[in-house]
Amino acid sequence: MYRFFQIFKMDLSNNFKNPVLINFNSVFAIVMILIMGFLTSGNYANAMDAYNYYAVSFLIFGMMEGAMTATNCFMERDIKKPNLRILSSPCGKFPIYFSKMLASFLFDYILHLLVAVILLIAGINLGGQNMGWIFLMMIPVEFSSAALGVLFCCIFHCEETASTILSLFVSVIAFLGGAFFSLDGLGSTLAAISRISPVKMLIDVFFAVIYDNNLSGVLPVLFISTAFSALCIFGCQKTFRAEDYL
Amino acid sequence: MEKLLEINSLSKSFKGNRVLDNISFLIEKGEVLCLLGPNGAGKSTTINILLGLLGRDSGTITYNGKVVSRSHLRAYKQKLGVVPQDLALYEELSAQQNARFFTSLYGLRGSNLDEAVEEALQFAGLTDRRKDKVKTFSGGMKRRLNIACAIAHHPELVIMDEPTVGIDPQSRNHILDSIKKLQADGITILYTTHYMEEVEAISSRIIIIDHGKIIAEGTKEKLKENIQSEKCYHIELEEGSPVPTEGFYDVEGVKEAKSDGNKIDIVSLRGVENLDRIISLISDAGAHIRNIAGEEASLETVFLKLTGRKLRN
Repeated sequence: MYRFFQIFKMDLSNNFKNPVLINFNSVFAIVMILIMGFLTSGNYANAMDAYNYYAVSFLIFGMMEGAMTATNCFMERDIKKPNLRILSSPCGKFPIYFSKMLASFLFDYILHLLVAVILLIAGINLGGQNMGWIFLMMIPVEFSSAALGVLFCCIFHCEETASTILSLFVSVIAFLGGAFFSLDGLGSTLAAISRISPVKMLIDVFFAVIYDNNLSGVLPVLFISTAFSALCIFGCQKTFRAEDYL
Repeated sequence: MEKLLEINSLSKSFKGNRVLDNISFLIEKGEVLCLLGPNGAGKSTTINILLGLLGRDSGTITYNGKVVSRSHLRAYKQKLGVVPQDLALYEELSAQQNARFFTSLYGLRGSNLDEAVEEALQFAGLTDRRKDKVKTFSGGMKRRLNIACAIAHHPELVIMDEPTVGIDPQSRNHILDSIKKLQADGITILYTTHYMEEVEAISSRIIIIDHGKIIAEGTKEKLKENIQSEKCYHIELEEGSPVPTEGFYDVEGVKEAKSDGNKIDIVSLRGVENLDRIISLISDAGAHIRNIAGEEASLETVFLKLTGRKLRN
């Protein structure tokens, strides 16, 4: 446990020393919310509703993009070589990839909580008394994204390939899920396609909690994302090979 | 001497290409065993298998009498110090932070960790720069820190994979001196390189590896002795002396005689004491000798003879 904690501390500290990751998970999200809110405010009866919509959708999009933090933490060029030394030490392979998942999750979660606090100060509605449920759901969702990022690295053995494929994948599910604009009003076919995206499910559950005081979706989100994380960890255990670092 | 590590019939293929072909060797306690071979010979593959970073197709590794299996891997790795070929350091951290982190992975903590790190930094001559970030270091200093991170936890066996690649001669000498110090402290070292002069300087024993096979093994003296069959005499004559061109082949053991201006190069079979007859032949022809030099076999020539190619081809 002591060794795992040492690796975890190092991974977390490496993430917090990376300005690109910090900006991508904080400033970028806020700027996108402001831009999209401003551009679409005319489409809403109350201009603030546009900001409310994009605050939630980009928070979810940011959580999905958290997978890229994990690929960076796991196989980024400057980190890969020291990781090789960790692999040569008597730590075993589980702490190597699990600490990257945990560190990426915690890093993303802290920054996204910070973004949420800034949004709250700016007057964005994040559920009022139900806010705690939102923050609770973010935990397994963020972790599953990080686990997916690490799994992609284990499968593709290369940060660039894993990040490219993940970025494309996240963009597609975010687009289909209505993170950029809702597809519900564009016909029944597109609305049906939209439903296959996990982002759509998350947006619906988050809005239900925030605006309808409806908590029925919370447990499924917690359960599905936890099960998905467990599957990713199992996949990593099966696919992670030390020689991928060589 | 006592056996520390024994490798038996190790084989490894990549996509049908056999990179290690049934190699076996052992490392004795306290020795510096140099694995010598050109790029692509199989040195790093051997090291990576020894470190458990790479699987093997067949073969066994025995450490201190125990076969290294999955269940023993952690205990085995605890005894090893690893100096990878690439610099495995966090550039944004200080020398001390790097050494602390990598040493803590071997379970050291508290004052034991502090002492071990301090000792390793002192060994690497980096005490004054302990607080500086690695990115401000020269290539040689980074290499030294790379070694410090490998030895701080007092390993029994240090595995060094080409630890002097790309550094200046001064830093290389510092590293070679450090290796001698480690050996004097009783640490066993497995050292891979394609620099012949390093092998000459530090090795207790040498294994020459090429195309995944061990082609020679022994001390440097023994290798030279066993392999060298020829000796070369470079004879320089006084200016204006007549240069004899005939008769050399009549001298027992002479294989080749070449003259160029006032210089004669004679290749003779080793073990044949014929220099006096060669000198007489030159004197009888009325020539005056200015200088005679005999060329001893180097490991470079040994390697060339064994493999038919130069080390750094």
